[in-house]
Amino acid sequence: MALPTPTLAAIRYGYGLRPGEEPPRDVEALLGQIEEGASGKPRFPREGIAGRLDTATRVVSLLAAEAKARRAGNPNEDVRKATQGEARRIYRQDAMARLAQAIHSPLGFYERLASFWVDHFSTSVMKSLPMRMIVPLYEAQAIRPNLGGSFIKLLSAAILHPAMLIYLDQDQSVGPDSVAARKNGRGLNENLGRELLELHTLGAGSGYTQEDVRAAALILTGLSVDDRAMQVVYQPRFAEAGPVDLLGRTYRDDEGDGQDHVLMLEDLAANPKTAQHICGKLVRHFIADDAPAEMVEAMVAAWTKSRGDLTEVYRAMLAHPRAWSDPGRKIKQPFEFVVSGFRALDLPEKNFGNLLRDMDDGDEDEGPVQKAMDLAGMAAREDTKKKAGRANALTLGALQRMGQPIWQPPSPAGFADETSVWLTPSQLSERISWSRMVARIFGQKMEPSVFLQAALADAAHPETARVIAQAPNKVHGITMVLASPEFNRR
Amino acid sequence: MSFQHGFALSRRGFLAGACCAAGASVLTPVSFAAMPGDNRFVTIILRGAMDGLDFVQPYGDPAYAALRPKLGLRPDTGLIDLDGFFGLNPAASALMPLWQAGELSFVHAVSTPYRDQRSHFDGQDMLETGGNGKGERTGWLNRTLAVIPRSNARRAIDINTSMELILSGPNEADSWSSQSNFALAQDEIAFLDRLYAGDPAFAKAMEEAKKTDMSADSLYGDAKRGAGIADMAKLAGGMLREDYRIASFSINGWDTHVGQQGQFRKAVGDLSTAILTLKEALGEDAWKKTAVLAMTEFGRTARENGTNGTDHGTGGLAVLAGGAIPGGKVLGKWPGLSEDKLLDRRDLMPTGDVREVAAAMLYRQFGIEPDTLTAKVFPGLSFDTSSAYLRG
Repeated sequence: MALPTPTLAAIRYGYGLRPGEEPPRDVEALLGQIEEGASGKPRFPREGIAGRLDTATRVVSLLAAEAKARRAGNPNEDVRKATQGEARRIYRQDAMARLAQAIHSPLGFYERLASFWVDHFSTSVMKSLPMRMIVPLYEAQAIRPNLGGSFIKLLSAAILHPAMLIYLDQDQSVGPDSVAARKNGRGLNENLGRELLELHTLGAGSGYTQEDVRAAALILTGLSVDDRAMQVVYQPRFAEAGPVDLLGRTYRDDEGDGQDHVLMLEDLAANPKTAQHICGKLVRHFIADDAPAEMVEAMVAAWTKSRGDLTEVYRAMLAHPRAWSDPGRKIKQPFEFVVSGFRALDLPEKNFGNLLRDMDDGDEDEGPVQKAMDLAGMAAREDTKKKAGRANALTLGALQRMGQPIWQPPSPAGFADETSVWLTPSQLSERISWSRMVARIFGQKMEPSVFLQAALADAAHPETARVIAQAPNKVHGITMVLASPEFNRR
Repeated sequence: MSFQHGFALSRRGFLAGACCAAGASVLTPVSFAAMPGDNRFVTIILRGAMDGLDFVQPYGDPAYAALRPKLGLRPDTGLIDLDGFFGLNPAASALMPLWQAGELSFVHAVSTPYRDQRSHFDGQDMLETGGNGKGERTGWLNRTLAVIPRSNARRAIDINTSMELILSGPNEADSWSSQSNFALAQDEIAFLDRLYAGDPAFAKAMEEAKKTDMSADSLYGDAKRGAGIADMAKLAGGMLREDYRIASFSINGWDTHVGQQGQFRKAVGDLSTAILTLKEALGEDAWKKTAVLAMTEFGRTARENGTNGTDHGTGGLAVLAGGAIPGGKVLGKWPGLSEDKLLDRRDLMPTGDVREVAAAMLYRQFGIEPDTLTAKVFPGLSFDTSSAYLRG
């Protein structure tokens, strides 16, 4: 199917236009991105998947060794501080790599889906120090390769990842009558069981009860994380012996192999309420807060027919006429806003990479180079710090101020998606400030009207073009392109 | 706009100064107190389900110690005794001077009508919409703005980068973050006005951004602004001291499933800081006319869980502070903690509706009639002037 406007495809289903990048021509082109994206290698974790596993396990052992020494009365502040500093740097590099990935990838629809699912299966780097390293790994391992396949595959990959088990305290939970509970008084934690039903599958208010939450938590017992290998393990000592009833089925663990949770995930993935919940959420995210019911129905039908094949669900969404009408009903979330801003500015990859280098240089505990610089003079040091502050304000700091720091959702429900949340006086003021800052730094030589064409093409309103052409100065002209309603809506 | 605003402030300052210096010849202190719309109301949403049983511990209840073997305290292990039955968590010790001055109270075993599901997100929606169930989409504090009899008490502000549900709705309210700053030249602002002229939602946000930015600027000047709890409370208190009469903000960090002691201490410290900073920023006179209501979406399980924490429960605790509240009391009807008294054998049984506490504060502060409160602000609530929260 040919699209009435490639611009709308790039803005509504991608991260906006980028000079020199052909916007998607048809639905097949959008869907084709999924396979290409899923088989590609993201820019994070920086050392790759195997390398990150090494780093994470090394840091965990270091911390454990230090904690042991501390208990023995020999705390080593330096080790602890160095480890914290390293985790902070690694997080920053990965977060900048996530921004770069979204900015420079030509597969906008795939990237938007990755953000959608990372948010749906939220985990947070704020949970603990090791999580600074594991959450980027989680996105690369569990979410990105699986977002175009069957929902059960994505669900299992997300739930059965150390990041999720740690984030929702599953690694702390043991069955009330398990061996571990009897031995050391530990007990059940319902967190993952609850969010699995409420957020990941059936949806809040879909009719399950507190009993069901507890049952799901009981079925999940035994799942834990081996910190030293950073792998999910099954610990029979933690598991509650069955049978457990959940939503009309009795889970008995007949095999005695602790694989009941796999059956439960399959049942939850196949539950019609899950299809309804997720299709509605996709439409609310991509199209409008008040999801058109007929569109959701078409997607649920595709879900049912294909037994949860997500690419078929996206196809049903994109094939619906409503997918290509009534633009601008949603406000870009801060991450989308910043990414699409950098895309429109067409900042070369090297320049974006320099921002990260500036931030790294600004670290106090950097090593011999930095110490030499300190000796060379305070002025150079001041300049370095200023550059680091500026690089942060343009990127990660901006997202923090706008309320959407990378991999730090406010709760397991992820970031808010409603228009009313992202169009407020202070949000607008933050976006104007950011637009002004990037316009000053990168837009001095740009012609506002040319920039408007690059950023919005035929999506710009004629009156907007007129106002921008008359701007009191170039910087303010560029600022207004980025702060315009058309650039902030999608 | 900014000039008018600045002028209004200095004129009021002048009159107040004249009053105190020259006695009652021009305007008496009584007429100031009776001036319409002088009372203030602040809501603080404690997001994440605050454990009321840990904050104000019922150490006199015979079942308490067994339910909370690790978290529970007694006066001889650090709990600050309040009335021989309840004691205050020592993390809140900074609030004790308020308690002694009659400027702090607690309401135990209260909840919204939300039951059974124990979802933060739905629970907070219900707390903020003030409704009986799903379907209500505006915040109760926003609906309050339309029914305050004296119009100049209506200015309201939400301290957040994005408007929170409690103040969202058809009535005008401002939203401002303690970090926001808006340094643009006049001509640039005029161009932005033109840019937004064709998009009503953007135009409205821009109008409010300009207005609020100027009020905030007059308070802060060029001083560095932060995003901490003290910064938010300072901004709210400063705004309330001037034109604003209603403010709202949130404190996160109450979802204590694991290792509750440390997390709870931090969150209670934040709430204490917020209340004490509000008091300081408001100044003595305005504090006397202020009621602060801190509330949460639901309480937590009566029993500790297996990970030194507590899970989502039902009955919770509301905190009242300010010079305009019935102070120095633990209010509410205590249901008891024996197994048969617990809801579903797990949660503190709610015996009061937190919306009634809010209604009582709105009645006291703004004179909104009970009929109006139950029809327009809290549909389905039963509230009249015999409410226990009015007697204190």
